[in-house]
Amino acid sequence: MEADQVEAYVDAQCALLGLTLAPEHRPGVVRYLQLVIGMAPRVMDFPLSPHDESGNVFVPVSPSATATS
Amino acid sequence: MSAVSNIQASLSRIAATDGRVNAFTAVLADRAMARAAAVDAGDVTGPLAGVPFAVKNLFDIAGLPTLAGSKIEREAAPAARDAFLVRQLEAAGAVLVGALNMDEYAYGFTTENSHVGPTCNPHDLTRLSGGSSGGSAAAVAAGQVPLALGSDTNGSIRVPASLCGVFGLKPTFGRLSRAGSYPFVASLDHLGPFARSVAELAVAYDALQGPDPDDPAQQVRPLEPTSDTLSHGTDGLRIGVLDGWFRRMAQPPALAAVDRVATALGTDRLVEWPEVDRARTAAFLITNVEGAALHLPDLKARAHDFEPLSRDRFLAGALLPAAWVQQSQRVRHWFARQVARSFEEVDVLIAPATPCTSPPIGTEWLDINGMKMPARASMGLLTQPVSCIGLPVVTVPLWGLDPAAPHLPMGVQIIAAPWREDLCLRVAHALQAAGIAHAPIAELN
Repeated sequence: MEADQVEAYVDAQCALLGLTLAPEHRPGVVRYLQLVIGMAPRVMDFPLSPHDESGNVFVPVSPSATATS
Repeated sequence: MSAVSNIQASLSRIAATDGRVNAFTAVLADRAMARAAAVDAGDVTGPLAGVPFAVKNLFDIAGLPTLAGSKIEREAAPAARDAFLVRQLEAAGAVLVGALNMDEYAYGFTTENSHVGPTCNPHDLTRLSGGSSGGSAAAVAAGQVPLALGSDTNGSIRVPASLCGVFGLKPTFGRLSRAGSYPFVASLDHLGPFARSVAELAVAYDALQGPDPDDPAQQVRPLEPTSDTLSHGTDGLRIGVLDGWFRRMAQPPALAAVDRVATALGTDRLVEWPEVDRARTAAFLITNVEGAALHLPDLKARAHDFEPLSRDRFLAGALLPAAWVQQSQRVRHWFARQVARSFEEVDVLIAPATPCTSPPIGTEWLDINGMKMPARASMGLLTQPVSCIGLPVVTVPLWGLDPAAPHLPMGVQIIAAPWREDLCLRVAHALQAAGIAHAPIAELN
């Protein structure tokens, strides 16, 4: 992803989230985003089948389990 | 010694050394002395009677705001009661003496906390304690307390244990309740103890176990005491050395530490896990996105109040595509299934805990096998792939492996299949008994 595309992505996502970046924070955010963009293909390019489930498994909550919460 | 004497000695050591170490963010002298008196009066008994301990300041302590290393949480209401694990240790007779420094919101491996200053490595005050539980490891290494609690999401118990030269246990994901602790990444967070001996680590771990409906991630398991089997030795255990990523991402002192442990355990068996780099990346992305989402309201309202060393990472994490973290969770599960197969062939695996011995505070870059790597993130290169699939690990400290800095420790991870903390502790105990691993109190001269 080219630098100007990263900048445009940051603008679009921030607008969507209602997140206003301070000017002094922006270069660090862009730099870090570029690092992560470089890493993401290691995960996204890995072939998985539709049956490979998430590592996050939801546990239903019984009424008794909320008694002390 | 009486409990009161123990606590007085601990408080005196803290007073004498913490100006240099900066491990503590709160010392609870009145509470500790009152509790110690109750122990001496026989009101509280247990295997840890009168043992002082301290906790990373992300654990709730009744009457104090739970800081989690931050400036923002100074405004939080005081905790109404102690965290579950604090209550477990005190029920076993231990006495809480204070709260400990950490990386803000646990997002770091160095405890270079800009709000309260860095926690220094007691064995070399110019160097990093590691993090994010740096205060916990340093307090134990400095002889301020014999026992401390920390958290480990990507290595935050094992990294500081390695750099400060103490024993640390990261239990299986879901083993110990996290209720009453400030979360970082709920799908990866673990809590666990530090100590200067494996026997103390095991006694603490046994006391920490117990069901708690307040933690939805805790698995329903019976109590599985480990102290009774500590001395069973390593005969009959199949032990392997993790190859591939775990050797490529380590500097010579880290490799020497693993080789020394392998020799002591009589193994030259190499085991390689597949796709470790992808698993580490998955943990990295999950951490970035979950951590950022947790703090999004404050990132929007008051980003200037965040730790400068991690603020931009948090902000960037808020912007990442959902598909990346979903895919990361699937890669994580795939990896866990592959690794489970390796435990059909071996019982225990060993690997370095950190790529190197402790770097000087402020270090920006590391050279690992000819690659220039960002120092702060790279301290977790060898721990992240293990915690992202929740395996239990004991970190054991070895010494004299870095010719340029022979006074510095180097940790080795003793890794087992889920729920086999007993095997990690047995092997660690054997290494300590053989004099291979030990955790001396820092002289702090």
